[in-house]
Amino acid sequence: MADTAMSGQGRRVFFRQGTVLKTVVLALLIAMIVLPLLRTVLFTLQPDTIRAWSDVLTGRLSTNLFYKPLGNTLLIGVVVSTGCVLLGGFLAWLVVMTNVPFRKTIGVMATLPFMIPSFAAALAWGSLFRNDRVGGQVGWLQGMGLDIPDWLAWGIVPTLIVLTLHYFSLAFTIIAAALATVNSDLVEAAQIAGARGRRILMGIVLPVTTPALVAAGSLCFAGAVSNFATPALLGLPVRMQTLSTRLFGMIEVGQVGRGYVIGIMLVLISGAFLWAGNRVVSGRRSYTTITGKGGRAKRFDLRRARWPLFGVAMIILLSSTVVPVIVLTASSLAPSSANLFSDWTLHYWMGRSDPSFAQGIPGIAHNEDIVRALTITLGLGLAVSFSGMFIGLLASYTTARFREGWMSAAITQISFLPLLVPGIAFGAAYIAYLGAPIGPFPALYGTFALLVIAATAYLLPFSVQTGRAVIQQVGGELEESARITGASFAHRLAAITVPLAIRGLAAGGILIFVKIIRDLSLVVLLFTPTMPVLSVVAYRYASEGFGQFANAITVVILFISIAATLIASRLQTKSQPWLQN
Amino acid sequence: MLEIRNLTKRFGNVDAVRDVSISAPGGAFLVLLGPSGCGKTTLLRMLAGLELPSEGQIVFDGQTVSDGDRNWAVDPAKRNSGLVFQSYALWPHMSVRGNVDWPLKVMKMPKAARAERVDEVLKLLDIGQLAERYPNEISGGQQQRVAIARTIAPKPSVLLFDEPLSNLDAKLRVEMRTELMRLHRATGATTVYVTHDQIEAMTMATHVAVMNHGRVQQFGSPSDLVNHPKTAFVATFVGTPPNNMVPVVKNGSGYKVGGRHMPLTPPADDCMAMYRAEAMSLSESEGETTLAMELVETSAIAGRTMVTGLRDGLRLTAIVDAAPEAGIGDTIQFCLPPRPDSWFGPDGERIG
Ligand SMILES: Nc1ncnc2c1ncn2[C@@H]1O[C@H](COP(=O)(O)OP(=O)(O)O)[C@@H](O)[C@H]1O
Ligand SMILES: [Mg+2]
Repeated sequence: MADTAMSGQGRRVFFRQGTVLKTVVLALLIAMIVLPLLRTVLFTLQPDTIRAWSDVLTGRLSTNLFYKPLGNTLLIGVVVSTGCVLLGGFLAWLVVMTNVPFRKTIGVMATLPFMIPSFAAALAWGSLFRNDRVGGQVGWLQGMGLDIPDWLAWGIVPTLIVLTLHYFSLAFTIIAAALATVNSDLVEAAQIAGARGRRILMGIVLPVTTPALVAAGSLCFAGAVSNFATPALLGLPVRMQTLSTRLFGMIEVGQVGRGYVIGIMLVLISGAFLWAGNRVVSGRRSYTTITGKGGRAKRFDLRRARWPLFGVAMIILLSSTVVPVIVLTASSLAPSSANLFSDWTLHYWMGRSDPSFAQGIPGIAHNEDIVRALTITLGLGLAVSFSGMFIGLLASYTTARFREGWMSAAITQISFLPLLVPGIAFGAAYIAYLGAPIGPFPALYGTFALLVIAATAYLLPFSVQTGRAVIQQVGGELEESARITGASFAHRLAAITVPLAIRGLAAGGILIFVKIIRDLSLVVLLFTPTMPVLSVVAYRYASEGFGQFANAITVVILFISIAATLIASRLQTKSQPWLQN
Repeated sequence: MLEIRNLTKRFGNVDAVRDVSISAPGGAFLVLLGPSGCGKTTLLRMLAGLELPSEGQIVFDGQTVSDGDRNWAVDPAKRNSGLVFQSYALWPHMSVRGNVDWPLKVMKMPKAARAERVDEVLKLLDIGQLAERYPNEISGGQQQRVAIARTIAPKPSVLLFDEPLSNLDAKLRVEMRTELMRLHRATGATTVYVTHDQIEAMTMATHVAVMNHGRVQQFGSPSDLVNHPKTAFVATFVGTPPNNMVPVVKNGSGYKVGGRHMPLTPPADDCMAMYRAEAMSLSESEGETTLAMELVETSAIAGRTMVTGLRDGLRLTAIVDAAPEAGIGDTIQFCLPPRPDSWFGPDGERIG
């Protein structure tokens, strides 16, 4: 009986399950991520470009081309990551472990600086601290009669300060999440053993949080060494070069081979630190907390230091969030940044072209280039958030569903590869990859498609991670129970997976949107006058001395980013679990 | 000697522990038993010195160690007590040996003595071979042993356990129970043990305090609790299987027991009659003291059968010699003995 019922219903399995899907995803990732990087390396190995290696690393010019920028880059990496771990760690400790007033406000504010593009902070710094060294407008403080010394107005010091105030919020997020898992039982067990303040800190709390500190430090390091906007705006005018500004400069002047070599070195440096950090963290003692049921968190009583520490935290937070926003807004309204708060005009926003004003450049609302850049930027954001979430979901679904096999491992590894590659180097790789025609395909340089593909690839680590979180939320069993009912893959995706996952997907998509519209380093090399994007237009205006326009555009970007981020965090139910009691 | 006097703990306007007074002789195995949220952990943390009582005193061996009325407490490290956390609280960056060794190091014990003591307790808990592993490299049961080893290494005179077995699987739980009792005999330390599992309490304790809503409902030996439950809560919380509690209401000149008129003379008009499961029986036909119920569960226990029936939210359990012929879902007759074992008033207090 059973036999007759079954006959004709069986199906031979030609491929092992998922082979087709895995192959497609893997091919896609290789085309988007591996080939561009490979192509860049191969380019520098051609007979007529291989000299670039010796030029950069050993030649007569190598000091200026490479070693000086390298020194600056490493200095930035070390100082900024140390500063970020200290600031971020301090704030995380306040928020998670103490009874400081307004903990939640501090917690939310500490995540904001990372939402603000780093060029916004650099522009704001200029509006405040510029002196007359390089000509053009002076900043507000100089305008107030203070004599701002060169070292505070330009070069390495402001770069270090601005980058620290930008990346500390990344460190905060990581350390706060780690501290939240440090069970207060661990500390109480040490108290019962008779240990006191310093001993508990040095013997228990620090060692347990070391992995998070290392992770935060290495991520901040990688971020700081690959940052382009800040050293470009604050350092280039006084000829301070880092590897990323050097890379940009080389490609701008057409010395592509040398540029790629510098780019490869930059990838190796930031990759090495991330890898080393990861090694430390994932050792034998990877401290996932050992616990059955957790205890209730008991907060450290700061007593009389509560308000003073709150004050310190607020100074850090205000100077990294509110002050830049106020300065940028004021400066987009003031004809002279020396007088930030007087003679305000809306010209930079909505004025018509007037030859006597700002060399006839119309306000951004009437400026065709800027309006076009705005349209393109928004379009780019939308396109990338869709394509990113699609590929991210596809890749994470594939690896979650078919866990075994080298192909799944390869998919995971490759999708996280862009994390190791600074944006500007990734942009350079895409020029090498799609800048010239490949076989029957035309060159994509200067097209919208190039921007979309490069940005999608660049943000894949993030979209795959989001996709994974979404899939975990949806859960394999729900999907499998639908499979048992006999629904097809597409039907299951549409009827079960997507409705369950839509909030997470939307939040992920919005965050990708934000990341791309405020990105400068990836697009600065892919930019062409026919395909302008806002951040690059702002950068150009700033470097040509039209700070008000740059600031007005930056305010627009900020406004869109903040609005989108707020929407996303409303969608994300558990965006900041450590804030909950 | 462990003495708790009028102990109260408030968190804001939540009374986690209310006016608790108990005392147990040195070397006792005192179990705090109660459902989740009844204040057991809070009481234990006050004993450990991690929380300051709002009112009342704690006295170890004649020495006051916590006094809520004076807002004063001896430091957790100086009370000569040790606490095994429910979460184990193993320090993840130290090996098993390191975890056991560190408290001794903090006590400034000389190195040689320390090594000897660590080996000794690791051996006592049978985890010597794990000494060099890290907490995330050993199983839950082994983590539990490490947590205990760490706590007993400094030889505390009062040992405190917070639901130590709740994270273990059933078989391991039974083994660990025996182990903990052996350990109690070996160390001789006064032990306070928190659990929500009445079987653990009944098998391990010399003294049990049954708690509910922050109050001690009854304090006594395990057999006291079974034989003379003071409140309806204790009567239904303690014992395997739990006692049956049947509501009795006055109806005209007679009384309705579980919804049926029966010839009974309760001490009050509204009350509850308690019947032990082993005093109940099943009957083929309806009788004067039978209640018809839907059969919902049967299970074999030690050669006898436990039968559970359900009707209108009333649940009855009987232990009988032979399994009923009826199947699950059929109606069967539970026969109540002529007199209940105890009576409880509407407030839950025993009235006869
Ligand atoms: N630190 C605290 N702050 C506020 N309420 C608490 C705190 N600790 C415990 N409680 C409350 O006190 C009651 C008893 O808690 P607890 O002692 O943990 O119960 P148990 O251990 O018996 O499950 C609960 O209602 C709990 O919510
Ligand atoms: Mg508890």
